[in-house]
Amino acid sequence: MGFFEWLDDTPLSHFVAETLWAYPTLETMHTVGMALLIGSLGLIDLRVLGFKPELPLLETQRLLPLAWLGFTLNAFSGTLLFVSDAVMFATSYTFRLKIALIILGGINAALLGRSVFQTPSAGAPSVPTAGAKWIAGASLVFWFGAIICGRLVAYTP
Amino acid sequence: MDLFVWLEHTSIANAIRTIRWLYPALETTHYIGLSLLVGGIMLIDLRVLGFARTLPLKSMIGLLPFVWVGFIINALTGGALFIYGATSFGVNHAFWLKMGFMVLAGLNALAFDLSVRRSRVDWVAADLPPTRVKTFATLSFVLWLCVVTTGRWMAYV
Repeated sequence: MGFFEWLDDTPLSHFVAETLWAYPTLETMHTVGMALLIGSLGLIDLRVLGFKPELPLLETQRLLPLAWLGFTLNAFSGTLLFVSDAVMFATSYTFRLKIALIILGGINAALLGRSVFQTPSAGAPSVPTAGAKWIAGASLVFWFGAIICGRLVAYTP
Repeated sequence: MDLFVWLEHTSIANAIRTIRWLYPALETTHYIGLSLLVGGIMLIDLRVLGFARTLPLKSMIGLLPFVWVGFIINALTGGALFIYGATSFGVNHAFWLKMGFMVLAGLNALAFDLSVRRSRVDWVAADLPPTRVKTFATLSFVLWLCVVTTGRWMAYV
């Protein structure tokens, strides 16, 4: 655990943990990033699963930059929040599960992009494959799972 | 305030105090509702402002039912959380600021809705939202950011 203890004692860690406004500001950023990421990616997932069929399936990829913006905000704010209390987060099983779910969600999103947005056929497919639907369903499970674990870090070992 | 003391002694407050997993569960559900509510509203606002033009404006405004589901989830979970901690939330400045921003966001949404219903030209179908409507969308985005921010800051003031 040497590395995380060292991290906990860096000036950056002390800055985030001890400056009055830093922690709540990063938390706020993390919450807004969450809404952007889940809002846009979740809508793509729901569209693939058959909701809102009036949205052109291929065009929903226009929402991906917003998902990336949310992800970037949260990678940034999440890293700083982690550094502020590294030993606690690194030893939390719930936090480790959250990170695992985010990694799965990321891999899953790449798979979704390949199966829905990079189809070789020229004609725009309006009906996603069964495989794409499973990926979209899994995406919702992974990301909502990550939200749940994130909130529960404060209450569980 | 007597009302806040009374609220804290209702059966709902007692249940949250006695059942250990209830408070974290309510908080987590509040975050899931937030993702639907704020994620959905931001997508609609950004679309009105010209983001992701290839997604039909009408179907994006059609996401409002998701936003309402998020709002109802958060009104219920937020109401329960307030009842549990009424005497502390009741004197929390960030909480009342949050409520103020929500009232403003609600009035703004009402103005937006009236603009959709009352306009003589069907700007939704034509995808030409008037400047007035773009102002409502910008205000909505900013006001909900303020709601999230003041909500997060409740723990720190």
